[in-house]
Amino acid sequence: MVPLSWYLIFAAALFSIGLFGVLSRRNAVAILLGIELMLNAVNINLAAFWRYGDVTRMAGQVFAIIVFAVAAAEVAVGLALVISVYRRRNTVVADEIDMMKW
Amino acid sequence: MNFITDHLLSLILFTPSIAAVIMLFLPQGENKLFRWFAFGASLIPFVLSLVAWFEFRAFLPGFQFQESYPWYEAIGSSLHLGVDGMSLTMVLLTTLLTPLAILASFTINDKVKAYMMLFLFLETGMLGVFMALDLLVFFVFWEVGLVPMYFLINQWGSANRNYASLKFMIYTMGGSLGLLLAVQLLGVLFGTYDLVTLYDRWNALDSGSMLLGMSVSTVKTIAFWAFVVAFAVKVPLWPFHTWLPDAHTEAPTAGSMILAGVMLKLGAYGFLRLILPLYPEEARIFAGALAFLATAAIVFGAFASYAQTDFKRLVAYSSVNHMGFVVLGIAAAAFAAGTTDATIALNGAILQMFNHGLSAAGMFFLVGVIYERTHTRDLEKYGGLFPLVPVYGGILIFTSMASLGLPGLNGFISEFLVVRGAYPILTVYTVISMLGLLFTGAYILKGIKKVLHGPLNEHWAHGEHRLTEINTREILVMAPLMALILWIGIYPAWILDVINRAVVMLF
Amino acid sequence: MTTETLLWLIPLPPVLAFFLIVLFTNRSKALSHSVGVGAAFLSWLMSMVVFVRALGVEHLGEHPFESSINWLPTGDTWLRIGVLLDPTTAAILFFVALTIFMIFLYSVGYHNFGQPKGDHDHKGLPPHGATVDEHGHTHVVPSVEPMYSRFFAFLGLFAFGMYVLVLSDNLLTFFVGWEIMGLCSYLLIGFWYAKPSARDAAVKAFMTTRIGDVFMLLGIAYLYSVTGTLTFREIFTEDVLHTLASVPSGFLGFSAAGLIGLLLFIGTVGKSAQFPLHVWLPDAMEGPTPVSAMIHAATMVSAGVYAVVRMFPLISLDAGTMSIVAFIGAFTAIFAATIAVAQNDIKRVLAYSTISQLGFMIAALGIGAYVAAVFHLITHAFFKALLFLGSGSVIHGMEHGVLHTGNHHVDPQDMYNMGGLRRKMPITFWTFLIGGFALSGFPLITAGFWSKDEILADAWGHHHYAVFIVLAIAAFLTAFYTMRQITLTFLGEPRTKEAEHAQETPWTMTVPLIILSIFAVGYGWVGIPEHFPVLGGLVPNWIHEFVGGTLAEHPEAVEFNWTPLLTSLFVALGGLGLGYAVYRDVNSVAQDRFQIPLLKNKYYFDEAYNYLFVKPAYWFAENVVYKLMDQGLIDGILHIFGPVTDRIGAFIRNNFDLPVINRFFGDGSADVTYGLGERMRFVQTGRIQQYLMFALVTFIVVGAALYFFLLA
Repeated sequence: MVPLSWYLIFAAALFSIGLFGVLSRRNAVAILLGIELMLNAVNINLAAFWRYGDVTRMAGQVFAIIVFAVAAAEVAVGLALVISVYRRRNTVVADEIDMMKW
Repeated sequence: MNFITDHLLSLILFTPSIAAVIMLFLPQGENKLFRWFAFGASLIPFVLSLVAWFEFRAFLPGFQFQESYPWYEAIGSSLHLGVDGMSLTMVLLTTLLTPLAILASFTINDKVKAYMMLFLFLETGMLGVFMALDLLVFFVFWEVGLVPMYFLINQWGSANRNYASLKFMIYTMGGSLGLLLAVQLLGVLFGTYDLVTLYDRWNALDSGSMLLGMSVSTVKTIAFWAFVVAFAVKVPLWPFHTWLPDAHTEAPTAGSMILAGVMLKLGAYGFLRLILPLYPEEARIFAGALAFLATAAIVFGAFASYAQTDFKRLVAYSSVNHMGFVVLGIAAAAFAAGTTDATIALNGAILQMFNHGLSAAGMFFLVGVIYERTHTRDLEKYGGLFPLVPVYGGILIFTSMASLGLPGLNGFISEFLVVRGAYPILTVYTVISMLGLLFTGAYILKGIKKVLHGPLNEHWAHGEHRLTEINTREILVMAPLMALILWIGIYPAWILDVINRAVVMLF
Repeated sequence: MTTETLLWLIPLPPVLAFFLIVLFTNRSKALSHSVGVGAAFLSWLMSMVVFVRALGVEHLGEHPFESSINWLPTGDTWLRIGVLLDPTTAAILFFVALTIFMIFLYSVGYHNFGQPKGDHDHKGLPPHGATVDEHGHTHVVPSVEPMYSRFFAFLGLFAFGMYVLVLSDNLLTFFVGWEIMGLCSYLLIGFWYAKPSARDAAVKAFMTTRIGDVFMLLGIAYLYSVTGTLTFREIFTEDVLHTLASVPSGFLGFSAAGLIGLLLFIGTVGKSAQFPLHVWLPDAMEGPTPVSAMIHAATMVSAGVYAVVRMFPLISLDAGTMSIVAFIGAFTAIFAATIAVAQNDIKRVLAYSTISQLGFMIAALGIGAYVAAVFHLITHAFFKALLFLGSGSVIHGMEHGVLHTGNHHVDPQDMYNMGGLRRKMPITFWTFLIGGFALSGFPLITAGFWSKDEILADAWGHHHYAVFIVLAIAAFLTAFYTMRQITLTFLGEPRTKEAEHAQETPWTMTVPLIILSIFAVGYGWVGIPEHFPVLGGLVPNWIHEFVGGTLAEHPEAVEFNWTPLLTSLFVALGGLGLGYAVYRDVNSVAQDRFQIPLLKNKYYFDEAYNYLFVKPAYWFAENVVYKLMDQGLIDGILHIFGPVTDRIGAFIRNNFDLPVINRFFGDGSADVTYGLGERMRFVQTGRIQQYLMFALVTFIVVGAALYFFLLA
């Protein structure tokens, strides 16, 4: 069986890609995509730890499912916000949405 | 029926409050509904206390209809209710006077709902004091009664009401500060506020031992005076009495009725329920001082009343005079506890409380009746009104005579008993207080002379100022009072027997 | 019915009548007076039944009718109240019931029942007459009293008080009756309350008697606390009396009995208008009617004497108290008699005469002449009632004259406006003459002679010569002013037009006069001393046997002596003769030699009391107690609390709250936070990715630091 560390490395990579996307992309939709990647990296970790840990304890899987649900909700709200911002300001560039700055 | 008899006291106590809360949900602006609802609601406790009166077994010692509910367990205080012959008499007085006072205030047109609610809350406050067998609960109800009265004076009073209501509130609150501390002291010492327990344990303290760094007798003396000041303000005893004429004069009619009829009794009741049983030793030592203050109240109260030109103020000062007799009886009893003389003096004092409740309430109401019609209380502006209002005049003379202590009416019985009881114990003070009794006559006759007798003041005889006769509702307010005044005057045994048994068993 | 039940019932009809009239029948005059007179009649009837039964009992003194019930619980015992009929009570009851009944009857006529309503009559003022149209021409007739019903109600209450007082077996209900009468006298004197003089007289009467009452109440309380009972027959047992006499009171060396007696006697001084509390009684004549005047003059004031009679076994224990009683009585007798000489108001003369006669009785009691005092009390009640009703009849007749002439400035009570009334009002004249002669002690035929003679005989026989001389002079003056009154009123020629048109009064007024005059003559015959020359022994000395039986020690009849008899013959006849001689030709006030200012103004007692007591009391009440003490001192101190609290508050606010709390802690912390925020705000770019970058960098730095410091 593939050792646990592979999964962890893979998840770390995925997380880093997501983080890079969040930090570097100017498009708000792309930032949301990055966040999705990061969440899924966590999911992989959860599933891996479950599989390699005590299989009878279901917490890993349950958490993963909760994360799905949260992710779905978050995307729904996030996209709705983006659309709403686009309709008002005609832009989806994150840097330009800076009304709350000093 | 079982439920009612088992929870009689709490039903009497809380019915008015519950009714007041229900009233909150009645539709706005229905003044007539508010009046009748409040009147009806205040009749329930009256009927229930009649039940209590007839169910009461006077020959049994101790408290009856006892109920106890957990209230503040952390500090050992519980809602412990119970009555003996002494407090039952006061409960009856309260539940009788409240409906009458509400009936008397049917002419109030301003903020009727709030007025009636305050009145019902007031009733609960006063009843609580008479029923409580727990020091802390006693104190709580003691203070609860103040608030509605403050607003009654402040909102519905006459010209100088702000000054009067503030003076009343601050004076009484200030007086009871010491009481609160003393109550706390007892609570902390014994871990309970239950009166029945405290009676035993507090008196069982060895007076030589130390307490809080002082000898027990010093502590007791301090606590005694803390209690005395609180109650003396309320009674009111000379020289703590000057809030009374102001508050009584400015309060609305029904407010004065309750103030004079019941609230003053709270102070005297405090003396009887707490001071005499808790501090028999101190009370004996300081009985002379109490008697001095009582005599001063009797004499100076009568003189001050005689000097008034304001009808209501005259009646207000008469309360100082009459309540002085209550304290004189208590002082005598404190000095010679256990003797027949003391028992007679206490019988007189308690009956005087009840009697003064009837006659003072009646007098204030009658002043109110004429004030509503003339909008003046100045004695010089009346004069010769008798032919215009013969029925009112007759009732006024009757009630005045009760207040004067005319034999055959109730006041005489109680004053005689006090004088009889106090004479062998406090001879000099009793003799001096006779001067007060003499001037009682003077100011009562002055009132009648200025209002009813003499040449007719034509101002009230014609046109828009024409004085109208007392109406049926007002007569209905007076009728029960007058009936009781006469009944006690002619055959006092029905009430005095209950009081006497309680006094014999208590002291 | 048993006698005891009857005794309980006797006081009830009048008080029921009072309530009936007040509550129900006050609109109907006829109904009201029927109820009132009916009740008085019923009580009189029962009293007579009781009296007759009492006569039939041997040794009533030892075994009186009595009955009592529990009334006031006092600790483990009860205070009992009840009724008692001993010989003295029976004798008193006899005249009380009769006079009360007569008063009721007389009032019907006096208040003009059946006459039309007045033209301008006003409640609270005497009726002024009504104009009627008869045979084509109008004339003025007396009008009915506007408060007719009320008068009968008050009378009923009064009668109740008197019956309660007489029949009580204890001091407490005695006092109840006593005070109820006090109230009634207040109400009746102030009956025409719209007259300021009547109003003030009412207050004066109430207050003056109340001074006495207050002391009496004290005496009752003292007695009760020493003996533990207020029942007469329990007090008058040998043991109790002995205790009372031997216990010192700690007051001027009086024994308990002496002090109690003195206190009770002060009550009597007030009620019976003895010096120095006599001032109210003459003013009570301001009171509207001769009827009410008669009530408190002839009946109620007797209550004061009755109190001393009742408490005689106790009062007589202490010689000091007895001397005071005797002194007050004798002094009052002569003092009031001198004033009576100079009065012109027909009722005032009688009022002072009453005070004087009561002084006789008190003096008699003071020297221990119990029977004589009771005897004089009864005979005096009859003839003084007769005189008052007679004077009322005279006034009524005069008012008729005043209405006829329409001259309302003529005072119908001033004797100088009368004269010659014997022809206009024959029945009134003859009965008044009988009453007057009885008052003067006209020898042998009048009751007054026998009773007054007995007092003088007792004073002489017991060697109280000072009292004897004073009373003899007073008796002389009595005869003198009585004759003056009769002469001025009835004899001679009418001095005014009004007197010419005076008219005899209706039968309801004259019948009581006639009945009372019978007793004013006849009642004397029941008390003729046994050893009196010629007449002695013809009629048994009933009063001495019967009334004397009340006391535990039956008093000895005083031995016959010519000195007092001759003295009383001389003073009575001499006084009457001199009175007639002096006033036969007097036609106006100016000719009256006895209008001495000092006497006319009653020795200035009213003025003196006013300046010594009434005004200072009011001044003290208003200025010292109310203004200085309450408003100045106590409220002043209270009012200091307000500003002081205010100052303390202001001080704390200015010196601590504002600088320390507000400036330093409050404003200071706010300023610091504000400044920091101001400087740090550039961090907030509003760019989410920058924030994330910061977070990442911080995370890495902190992570690295943790790793470096903790794990390595």
